[in-house]
Amino acid sequence: MKVRKEYVRDGKPVAVVAEPLDGDRWRVRVGDRVYEFSAQALGDGGVKLAPKGQEFERSFVAYGAAAGKDFMVRVLGRTHTLTAPAGRKGTGGAGADGTVRAPMTGTVMDVLCKVGDTVAADQTLVVVSAMKMEHKLTAGVAGVVQSVAAKKGGTVDQGAVLAVVEAKA
Amino acid sequence: MASNPPFRRVLIANRGEIALRVARGLRELGIESVAVHSDVDARCAHVLHADHAVPLGGNTAAESYLDVGKILAAARRSGAEAIHPGYGFLSENSSFVRAVRDAGLVFIGPNAEAMDRLGGKKAAREEAIAAGVPVIPGTEQDVGDQGLIEVAKKIGMPVMVKASAGGGGRGMRLVEREQDLAEALAAGRREAKASFGDDRMILERAVFPARHIEIQLIGDRHGHVVSLHERECSVQRRHQKVLEEAPSAVVDEDLRRRMGECAVALARRVGYDNAGTAEFLLDEQGRFYFLEVNTRLQVEHPVTELVTGVDLVHLQVHVAAGGRLEQLLAGKDLRPRGHAIEARLCAESPESGYIPAAGLLRLVREPEGPGIRVDSGVYTGWEVPPFYDSMLAKLIVWAPDRASACARLSQALRDTAYLGIPTNVDFLRRIVDDTAFRNARLRTDMLKLRPELAAGPQDGPEDLALAAAVLCQAVAPRSGGAGGGTNGAAASGGSTAVWSDLAGFRLFEGSR
Repeated sequence: MKVRKEYVRDGKPVAVVAEPLDGDRWRVRVGDRVYEFSAQALGDGGVKLAPKGQEFERSFVAYGAAAGKDFMVRVLGRTHTLTAPAGRKGTGGAGADGTVRAPMTGTVMDVLCKVGDTVAADQTLVVVSAMKMEHKLTAGVAGVVQSVAAKKGGTVDQGAVLAVVEAKA
Repeated sequence: MASNPPFRRVLIANRGEIALRVARGLRELGIESVAVHSDVDARCAHVLHADHAVPLGGNTAAESYLDVGKILAAARRSGAEAIHPGYGFLSENSSFVRAVRDAGLVFIGPNAEAMDRLGGKKAAREEAIAAGVPVIPGTEQDVGDQGLIEVAKKIGMPVMVKASAGGGGRGMRLVEREQDLAEALAAGRREAKASFGDDRMILERAVFPARHIEIQLIGDRHGHVVSLHERECSVQRRHQKVLEEAPSAVVDEDLRRRMGECAVALARRVGYDNAGTAEFLLDEQGRFYFLEVNTRLQVEHPVTELVTGVDLVHLQVHVAAGGRLEQLLAGKDLRPRGHAIEARLCAESPESGYIPAAGLLRLVREPEGPGIRVDSGVYTGWEVPPFYDSMLAKLIVWAPDRASACARLSQALRDTAYLGIPTNVDFLRRIVDDTAFRNARLRTDMLKLRPELAAGPQDGPEDLALAAAVLCQAVAPRSGGAGGGTNGAAASGGSTAVWSDLAGFRLFEGSR
């Protein structure tokens, strides 16, 4: 059955559509380019893929699995984490949007800003300890602190908003 | 050996890959293993592999693997005769060693007195000076922040600030400018307090550029100590080891002998009687300086096992039971043979500042083949808890020479897949394939000097990767049915099967 997904590449969404042909053959459209593959599920989570229509066919096994809202695929010794345009999540730390999130579940060691502070992009606002290491979370953008949700000594979940900075134009 | 095991049952006070590795070694000796576990670890790989399991309750290290009372109660309850501590947790805690002894059990590790004399950086440094082992200029005392800053001014920048109780890079920082000292000390004290319950800091001159060379030691209870030669662990990030190998490409027989003699002299001086490691920095002039002793089995012990042919866990058990090294090692040629390299596979993202990750491992595929050893603590479907170390497994390769070992490790990493959470697998392969690593041009700050190795390629996924991702979802049995008809709705959360499934990135549900 036809499968359609959208993933972000270089900041832009790319539509990827796989259409079954006969047998184990599939036509795959990536953006406006078209490829043909044979694809066989191996049962261990791997899929044997052979691109068709090239001078010689180099087959390989791809492994894919969900990772939160992303999809991870391992191809030819490299892992790609693919993000759907609508499903982008905060990755923790500084965001270009001025939202400082917890990189993972942990404990707030220190809060180094308060509402109204003018901060630089590389300024540390919150220190979070997780998996026995300290992480300094910077503002990400230069601006003014709008809100601070982090409390010293408090436990935070991954992705939790710790502080919000409004960028200065 | 198996016909006459030194113990009947041994409790392993640890978790994950090392608990599993110890359990394997015990089983080979005909000894039953007892696993302990926190609540979230009830189905951790080490629990599944052990002969018996005792729940400790709780989830944080402090309320489980670090709770001496609970560990000793578990030992009593399970009828264990001895306790193997693994590494980390209670392995270097001499009060624990004494408590084990007072409970009438055997601690599979060094005696508490030797541990006290070598455990703290300060104590170890004083013992090293007394044993005639070269040390780095610095202070052995925490003389307070102001005092430490004065010392730094005297010996010159850059300096290393370290947790006095430390190990594993916790609380350790390189400081290049005087004005950064106060903040580094404050942060170091916080980390040290959290990790060791002791916020004392020391400081010494930073030796740069340097290689990290360490000597594996094994002692027995009859005054014998043997050097099992060096490992090189120069590839480090933030003072945590990334790749380790044996032998070192720059240690010749003469240097190996001299470093080994220093390490043995230090161990003999304090009556050391189990596995331990003396760590050194080696500068470009071939001078070596003592750093510290790790009074336990090290994470990277397998590379020594592969080049010397000894099983360090077996030796630990035998010497703890009173065995003699001269008998245990009789007729063995301990000279290093071939080359071994270990890569630490961690749930962390080097591409995003080494942020550690927790969550569900949806697909685990570990490499196999000639000369490949995987000491793993995870499996497909295991949810990596956020409470402990981020290491998932260790990949260790052996080959007749270093170049072949590098090629083997690179291919083994290519064949490794941990999907579901970020890992450092691609990062490790970038290092192994780097010219500097292949040519053994190693230094402890190489990853800091080469940030591109952590950052990785900046190009977006190629068409092949995008096509493969969608084909995986199209033909894989579990998502095959759901793939149909969802179309673009998936991206906006309109479909049920696949995306509600994907949303199962549960960090805490299992524990709360």
